[in-house]
Amino acid sequence: MASQDPAPSPAQGVGPIYQPDGEKPTATVSKEISYDNVHVLPQTPQLIALLTMIRDKRTVRADFIFYSNRIIRLLVEEGLNHLPVVEQSVTTPVGRAYLGVKFEGKICGVSIMRAGEAMEQGLRDCCRSVRIGKILIQRDEETCMPKLFYDKLPADIADRWVLLLDPMFATGGSATMAVEVLKQKGVPEHRILFLNLIASPSGVTEFAERFPKLRVVTAFIDQGLDDKKYIIPGLGDFGDRYYTL
Amino acid sequence: MESISPFYSLTQGAKYSPPWQDLSIIGIAGSSGSGKTSVAMEIVRSLNLPWVVILVMDSFYKSLSPEEHRKAHANEYDFDSPESIDFDLLVETLRTLKKGKRAQIPVYSFADHQRQPQTTTLYSPRVIILEGILALHDPRIAEMLDVKIFVEADMDVCLGRRVLRDVRERGRDIDGIIKQWFTYVKPSFTRFVDPQRGVSDIIIPRGIENKTAIDMVVKHIQRKLQEKSEHHTEELRKLGLIAADVELPRNVHVLPSTPQALDMTLYIPAEVETPQGNKYNGLNPKGIVSAVAILRGGSCLETALKRTIPDCITGRMLIQTDEVSQEPGLHYIKLPPQIGEHASVMLLDPQMSSGGAALMAVRVLIDHGVSEEKIVFVTCAAGEGGLKRLTTVFPKINVIVGRIEDEGEPRWMEKRYFGC
Repeated sequence: MASQDPAPSPAQGVGPIYQPDGEKPTATVSKEISYDNVHVLPQTPQLIALLTMIRDKRTVRADFIFYSNRIIRLLVEEGLNHLPVVEQSVTTPVGRAYLGVKFEGKICGVSIMRAGEAMEQGLRDCCRSVRIGKILIQRDEETCMPKLFYDKLPADIADRWVLLLDPMFATGGSATMAVEVLKQKGVPEHRILFLNLIASPSGVTEFAERFPKLRVVTAFIDQGLDDKKYIIPGLGDFGDRYYTL
Repeated sequence: MESISPFYSLTQGAKYSPPWQDLSIIGIAGSSGSGKTSVAMEIVRSLNLPWVVILVMDSFYKSLSPEEHRKAHANEYDFDSPESIDFDLLVETLRTLKKGKRAQIPVYSFADHQRQPQTTTLYSPRVIILEGILALHDPRIAEMLDVKIFVEADMDVCLGRRVLRDVRERGRDIDGIIKQWFTYVKPSFTRFVDPQRGVSDIIIPRGIENKTAIDMVVKHIQRKLQEKSEHHTEELRKLGLIAADVELPRNVHVLPSTPQALDMTLYIPAEVETPQGNKYNGLNPKGIVSAVAILRGGSCLETALKRTIPDCITGRMLIQTDEVSQEPGLHYIKLPPQIGEHASVMLLDPQMSSGGAALMAVRVLIDHGVSEEKIVFVTCAAGEGGLKRLTTVFPKINVIVGRIEDEGEPRWMEKRYFGC
């Protein structure tokens, strides 16, 4: 499990590619982990600037919503790159053929309540009439284990690719439970894509090993967990900052 | 100020009681080490329902003075006597919960034998299992209990379990445990704990191993809950009858003749200066306008909400109608802090038919300190009966409705919106 003092995250020069390395400002970037099924968004200056906004405790709700929506959009766009496509030839208005591709297969979103619901709009902005299911998992007071409280999923979910939405991934208790629920409903592991903003290295490692065929798309793998199992440096409670604080 | 319409006075008697107002409380008493906790947890597991809460009487220990604290450390304080429990607070808490209100449960620290400044909020449980050596001791509590259970175990077994638990989990030494057992635990058992058999409904010998007895208790609770659920559904039906003959009140607005929800919130005069230095007398919103989505459907309205007020503070509550009993149940709530101070709270639900979920949601807001007249219920389509039911019980709330539809129209909007 997480050590008391996790190893620091790498710091590197971040800036446009034409800028010489020595002149780029230094920023903390995502940790790297070597699992084929974990994809971290490229640590571009834009992404780092957006993450800086939402991590800042002084950022007010309106800005938090705006900037986290932008990162969510990047995650969804990247997530869609992990779906299979088939050849598709089209004719352009000037009468020429263009050989392209089109999406194949049906998809749906599943948000892990409450924070995951904040990612629904980003998905809907890219996939207009996407079906969206919800899963509510809460910590059982008696056993301290995550417990499934509610789920509402498309009836034909077993035939779909599932984009599982949860912005924060600390120990991964809820996400693991959500994947188990999806698998019970007949969704094959390789058709699940987990979209996530910030993950803890220990959580995501365990997750990637447990579900080797599932794919994780995350914006950032953070330094680690503190003794209360909060992601550090993290950004606090995503749901609270997005909805109520 | 509007005059009071006949509608208002006619229906003053109409009241809505949420299902948790008449919660079931089960008391489990028995000697220390008799297996009360295991029995309580087995009952919770077998019931397999949301909102079953175990309330441990340890939370209601009185804070100790420095002198008592010293005694406690020397194993010379009697934690097994009724004197050590704040029964008045416990009675008060249970009464509050029986009324369907929110209660604050104290947090007791065993390390410094003090009640902590923070509390745990308990709201809307359907079943509470009160567990403690003296759960049946106070007649004021016994009177409130639906089932009174006494868990019996051989005293040698109890001592054995207590030694194991205190050594393993609380890091105490055996001499101290034995001293406490013979000085306090056992005498208190004879004086206070054992006599509770007399008032108990069921004595469970052998605790957790006694599957038959636990099964009986679970069946009994299930039957009680079933009766209560039928009663609640019947009450909703009666409310419908009361409301059937009345006109829709004036604070129900149907589009397109209506103001929009944001016009229902309060504004205060504000003078602004234009870049040319001119004055303009306008309006500013009076205080915070927030919204609460009734899930799952309510999130269909959130996109429109966020387009209007991008950073609108948003709470959520999940109300699901049981497929068998047709009774709405509250499964989850997450409300903004200080919601009671907001100038107005929009309650979002895309569709309302009988109004059962709406009644429950309004009641939840009121219980969290939002006054009735600050609530604006926003819905795309509603049955007339449901609307009347809602406004009969809560005459001061404002309602914005897109379209009045036939009674009993099934909820289809969220199904289409989410595609499932």
